[in-house]
This record gives sequence, C-alpha cells and structure tokens, in this order.
Amino acid sequence: MRLRARNLAHAYDGLAALGPLDLVVEAGERLAIVGPSGCGKSTLLAILGGLLRPSGGRVWFEGEAPSGSIVPVAYVFQDFALLPWRTVAGNVALPLEGRLPRTEIRARVGAALARTGLSDFAGRFPRELSGGMRQRVGIARALVVEPGVLLLDEPLSALDAQTRELLLEDILGLTEGATLVWVTHNLEEAVRVADRVILLSARPGRIRAEIAVPVPARERNRPEAVPVLARLRGELWALLREDARRAQTEGPP
Amino acid sequence: MSAREVRLRARGFAPRRLPGAGAVTAVCVFAAWEAVCRAGLVSPFALPAPSRVLAVLAEMALSGELLAHLRASLGRLAGGWAIGMLCGVLAGLAIGVSSLARSVGLPLVSALFPVPKIALLPLLILWLGIGEAPKLATIALGTFFPVALSTASGVDQIPRSLIRMAQSFDLPNRAIVLKVILPGALPGIFAGARISSSIALVLLTAAEMIGAEYGIGALVLQAGHLMRADRLLAGVVLLSVLGVAIGAGLGALERRLLAWR
Amino acid sequence: MTLVSSAPLFIAQERGYYREEGLDAELVFFRAAQPVAVAVAAGEADFGVTAFTAGFFNLAGQGALKVIGAQSREEPGFDFSAYLASNAAFANGLTGPEKLPGRSLAITQHGSSFHIMAGLLARKLGVETKTIRMVPLETLQNMQAALKTGQVDAAILPGHIATELDRAGEAELIGWVHEWTPYALGGLFTSTRNVERRRGVVEAFVRAYQKGARDYHAVMNKRDAGGKRIFEADAEPVIAIIAKYTQATPEAIKAGAPYIDPEGRLDVGNVYEQVALLKEEKLVDASVDPARFIDLSFISGHFNLPR
Ligand SMILES: Nc1ncnc2c1ncn2[C@@H]1O[C@H](COP(=O)(O)OP(=O)(O)OP(=O)(O)O)[C@@H](O)[C@H]1O
Ligand SMILES: [Mg+2]
Repeated sequence: MRLRARNLAHAYDGLAALGPLDLVVEAGERLAIVGPSGCGKSTLLAILGGLLRPSGGRVWFEGEAPSGSIVPVAYVFQDFALLPWRTVAGNVALPLEGRLPRTEIRARVGAALARTGLSDFAGRFPRELSGGMRQRVGIARALVVEPGVLLLDEPLSALDAQTRELLLEDILGLTEGATLVWVTHNLEEAVRVADRVILLSARPGRIRAEIAVPVPARERNRPEAVPVLARLRGELWALLREDARRAQTEGPP
Repeated sequence: MSAREVRLRARGFAPRRLPGAGAVTAVCVFAAWEAVCRAGLVSPFALPAPSRVLAVLAEMALSGELLAHLRASLGRLAGGWAIGMLCGVLAGLAIGVSSLARSVGLPLVSALFPVPKIALLPLLILWLGIGEAPKLATIALGTFFPVALSTASGVDQIPRSLIRMAQSFDLPNRAIVLKVILPGALPGIFAGARISSSIALVLLTAAEMIGAEYGIGALVLQAGHLMRADRLLAGVVLLSVLGVAIGAGLGALERRLLAWR
Repeated sequence: MTLVSSAPLFIAQERGYYREEGLDAELVFFRAAQPVAVAVAAGEADFGVTAFTAGFFNLAGQGALKVIGAQSREEPGFDFSAYLASNAAFANGLTGPEKLPGRSLAITQHGSSFHIMAGLLARKLGVETKTIRMVPLETLQNMQAALKTGQVDAAILPGHIATELDRAGEAELIGWVHEWTPYALGGLFTSTRNVERRRGVVEAFVRAYQKGARDYHAVMNKRDAGGKRIFEADAEPVIAIIAKYTQATPEAIKAGAPYIDPEGRLDVGNVYEQVALLKEEKLVDASVDPARFIDLSFISGHFNLPR
C-alpha cells in the first residue's frame, strides 16, 4: 500500500506549523522523518494517520491493504498510550474487539505477545512494566491489526539508551517488509531504521533534504556499516544544525 | 577537621494508617462519655450514657422496631442514591464528551448544586406527593450534582492521547465511551460516590421529614421533638454506623475495581 | 410559632412591670419550643413561656420544671386554630371535624400541638386518637403543600393561614378548634429549683406577668355586640409593643392574636387530658405525672381542677 500526500499544510490558529509539502511513501518502504524540535513532525504524522484534518492539501492511499488487515494505518505513540486499567493482553486485544470472533482474538493476541516477547506478562498491568516493556505492548497492539502502514511518533524517545538500543533492533526485526513512517529527532536512529530519511526545515516544516540510506536493513548492525551510517548522520546534522539552533533560541511561539 | 554525622533531614510529612487507632479512639471516647454520665456530671435526659443508648438499641432490635427503621431507610438510601448516581454519571459523561452538554449542563449544574434541597421540600410535596417519591427525589437530587461534577472532572483527567489512540484504531464512538472514557472516569465516579453517599445520609433525615412513619431520620426527628435524648442518640449511632459501613463497602469495591492504579 | 402568645412578657418589659417588682428581666428568644424548656431546666433562663408538646411534658416529667401559669388558650368566640379539609376530601364528605376519624391529618410531628388538638377532638368524639391518621410533615409549609394537593385529607392550621387557604379556594375551612374542644396551648413555667429556693422572685415575676396579661386582655380580647372579635384604637399601643418584639405587621398580629387569660389562669384539667392522651400513644413516658409538674400555688382561680 502506497501513501501519498499532495500540497499538505497545517496551521494551528493561524500559526503555520507545517508545509506545504508533497510526500510519497512506497509500499514496503521505511521512511524516517527528522527535523528540528517544533517543526511539525508530529503534526505531519497525525495528518497521515487521519488524526488531524490538514488546513490544506490532501492525503490518500494507493493499492490494497494486506489481506487480514483490520485497520489500514496503525500508530505507535511516544507515551505508549496504554489503557492503565487493562492488562497487557487486554490492551493488545483492544483494536480487535468486536471485529473478530473471540477465539481468533485470543490466538492473534497470543501470537503478537509471543513475537514481542511479552508472553510472560500477558496478565500484568502497565504500571507493573518497565518503559521498554510498555512500548513493546504499544508495538504489539499496532502489529496485531496487521496494518498496511505503521506510523511511529518518537517510539523510543521516552526510553533510556540501552533499552532504546535493544528495542530498536527488535522493532526492525518485527517490521521487516512493512511500510513504516518513523518520526524521530535522533539522527542516528533515523539512519539505522530507514531506507530514506526526510529532513524538515524549521517551523513551518518543509522538505529540506532527502537522503537514501545505501545499506540494506539487514546489514545495518554489521561493523562495516558503522562508518557509512556515521557519515550520513554527519551530513544530516550539517544540514540541520542551523535550523536546530534557531528552534532552540526562538523557543515555542 | 571534626567529623560530623550526616543528619537525616527528610523526616515526617508521610502520614501512615496506624492499625487499630480508630478502634482505640472510639473506645476511649465512649469510655470517657460513660464515665462523665456515671459521675452524674450531666443529667441523663440531656446526655444519656452510652450504655443507656445501647440498651435502647437493644430494646428496638428486640421489638422489631430497629429492623423497620433500617429497612425503610436503607430502601430510600439505595433507591435515591442509585437514581442519583445513574443520572449523575450519565450527565457527567455527557458534560465530559459533548460540547453542547458541557456548555448547557455545566452552568446549570453549578447553579443548582448549591440550592439547599431541604428548601425544595414543599415543592417536592406539590409535585410528588408525600409517599416514597419525594423521599427518593430528595436523596437523588443531593446525590446527582456531586456525582455529575466529579464524573465530568474524571473524564477531563483522561489523557487525550488515550482517546486519540482509540480513534487511531477506528474504534466506534460507543466503544470509545465504554472502553476508554467510562473506565478512565471511574476514579472520578468513585470520588463522587463517596461524597454523595455522605450527602445521601445527611439528606435522609430531611427526606424523612415528609410523612415517614419509619426510618432512622424519622426516628431522630421524632426523638428530638419528644425530648428523648436516648432514642435520638441511638438514631445518631445508627447513622454513623451506616456511614462507616457504606464507606467501607465503597472502599472495598474501589480496591477491586481500581486495582490497576 | 405564635410569638404573640408571649405578649404579656413583652408588655411587662416595655411598661416596666418587672422593674416595679424589683426584677431586672432580660428576654431571650428561641426559634423552637423545646430549647426554651431545656434552657429553664438547665438554669440558663429562669422563666419560660412555650406551647405544650409531648417533648415538653417528657422534660417537665423529669422533675426539673414547674408550670405555674397559662400561656394562651382556645376560647369560644375567639377564632385561633382551624380544621381544614382538602378540596378532594371535602367533596368526598369531609365536611366537619366530626368526620375526621378514618381520615389522614397533616401535623408537624408526633406529639406536637397539632397532634394534641387532634387527640382532644378524638376524645371528644369518643374514639381513639389513632383513628385519625397523623402524617408528620415537619413544617407548616409542607403541611399546606400536602393539603392543597390532597395528599392528606385534612390539617389543623393557624386561623390566618386557614382563612387565606379557604378564601383562595385551595382548601375548605370546616371548623374552628374552639367550637369543638377546650385547649390550653401552653404554659408559663420555671425551674423546680426557683420554686423551692427563690419563691419571692417567682411570685414577683408572676405578678408582673399578670399585669401584662391584664393589659393584653383589656384591649386584645374584645368582641362587639354581635360576638365578632374587634380591635379598637386602644389596642394600638399593645400592638405596637408586640410588633417591636415579633417584627410582625399590625395586620398579622391581629390575625394571629390568641385569647390570653387576664390572670394567667390555666385549664388544668385540659392539661391532664393532654398528658393522658399522649401517654396512651406512648409519646409521653408512663412515669410523667402532671400533678408533679403543675404548681397551682402562685395564681389563684385556675380552672377545671382535677379532684
Ligand atoms: N494543538 C496545538 N495547538 C497549537 N499549536 C500546536 C499544537 N500542536 C502543536 N503545535 C505547534 O505546532 C508546531 C509543530 O508541532 P509538532 O508537535 O508537530 O512539532 P514536532 O516537530 O513534533 O516537535 P517535537 O520535536 O517537540 O516533537 C509547534 O510549534 C507546536 O508548538
Ligand atoms: Mg513531536
């Protein structure tokens, strides 16, 4: 399933926050979006996910969602957005309820928990889990609907460095072949997860640059990939630096 | 250089429940009260001894009068409170999720909340007569407002991101209300239930001003008029016991339903 | 409720009768009847005037109080309290107080003045008090609301309210209490301690009270040749004194003025009957004996003395 946006722009109460910009996410592509803080990354993702009506332009899909898909686009949130009164299994089951027979829900949830390493925690409540485990639940919940496109808004930003490292590897493994849009402010993360990185300018965010990552996903953890990724990160930072500093000193509107 | 131990400065400001303190306090209060009465410091018709109050309660229990009072009052409390809770939760949810309900309902609730329900008794008689209906209505009215307000604020406490999450999975609105908003507002609803259960007990006496033959409120009112301090205090003891029992029941229910906190 | 009943106290104060007796009196007001009796029993006040209720009798029966004179009473020819029927009950045959047995009657509380008046009527009719179904509604407003809507068949209410409801067609006035039963509304009382230890003070107070009562009687208890109650110009000063203490308008005072005996004499037999009927209903403790809380020695000429 391919995702397209044309002439997309958004303003909050007259404050231009995003665009205008055009965007294509090809089926099976992994796209990272980076940019200085407050440039409209989350706004863009919310519009792509149908959670926000853009002030200008439009977004549409091309092609069919995979068979077995319950929701075409699934979201992973920075703050996990878990229901604290539901267990891990209950949270993962939420998007399936009322849409599939009970036995199938149980099977799908069981499989999603197994894939994300949560089987032993099915009956726990979110407050009993570490941050990394909570985001695993968020990811399991997004994967269980077998979406055509997976949108992730800073999925690792609330976690400590080691947890981030481990979860990043796991997410890459879990989403192999999926269409991803991954928003992050972490350039290293961007070059490690994406096939292509889009760099947005300072607010209102427009496309400033696009960089393809020439290393196949599978090989990103190899030692010989490290210098390539580091160089890409450096290039991105050179482009971003001025905007980032400006965003810092200007502060929020 | 002289060595000095680091002094612990983070002390206090962390109240705990001392087990048994409540019971010990109650025993001390009753013992002091009994002693004052036995010593003849106050006349028995002004302040009867707790033993006398207990004796009155025992007499009432044996004659079946106690059961009649309890049955009448518990029925009114349960009925009026249930009506008030149900309407209050529905109104609070509406105020919490709908702009129209918020704009219309919130000022209305704020305006009517402080109206003393006792002042409405003559009107309630005109509208509902002198049977059970005005008694239930008095208690329901007293329950409704705090529950509506605290349910609405419970809805406001739900992080918006949870609602956006549910929407991101295309959950229908009905499912969002039942699976996200209602459970999310439950702490607020419980806070309302606690406050309103006390208000319901206070209003029980007002409700039973209207043509009640039996009921703890009617017992207290009548005993007051008849200058029967022992019966009056027996009624007061019953009200306190009811208050404690209802509080404990709600606490147990809350611990079960809000175990996730 | 009817503060006008305490008029002799106000008059005695305003005209200096207490001072003439060497007393330095201070009037204290209570919103309800019970606290008056409690204050006197506790020694916080020396004298009280209040209505008879089961609560008063229960307290007086403990031995701490002595009734020494009368407050007001129902006197033939002086409209004061009235029996009212709801419109529905009236249409359905409740045309007079004699038809009250078997009907419901709004009262404030069991053991209140209203209950006593109904009980006296029942005894007069030769039936048990409980044949009249008492419905306690706590306040006069609630009683009126229940009567207007026909929730109760009948009520006993102060005359000015009763005539107003009748005139507006909201209920039917079916008789006056004074036409049916004698009724001693309340008493002047003091503590047993005062009677025993300060007899002189009590006597002086009673004399002042009687002077006030005589002043009231002279101008407020008048009737014309046709038997109709009238207030002439000479009533104005007394009405002004009452108005000062009750904050009521002269019209309201005239409408609610009770008959007050000029000597403060009590219908003793009626009080015995009240206690008896309340005992029958277990509203007054069986141990309460009116002979022990009524002291007849301060005022002569009390009525209807039991043998
Ligand atoms: N609901 C809103 N109302 C008004 N302004 C908003 C709202 N949401 C975001 N903004 C503003 O719009 C701009 C873009 O916000 P957005 O959250 O999309 O940025 P971002 O790139 O995700 O930033 P961050 O790096 O902090 O996550 C910011 O300046 C922000 O302050
Ligand atoms: Mg953001």
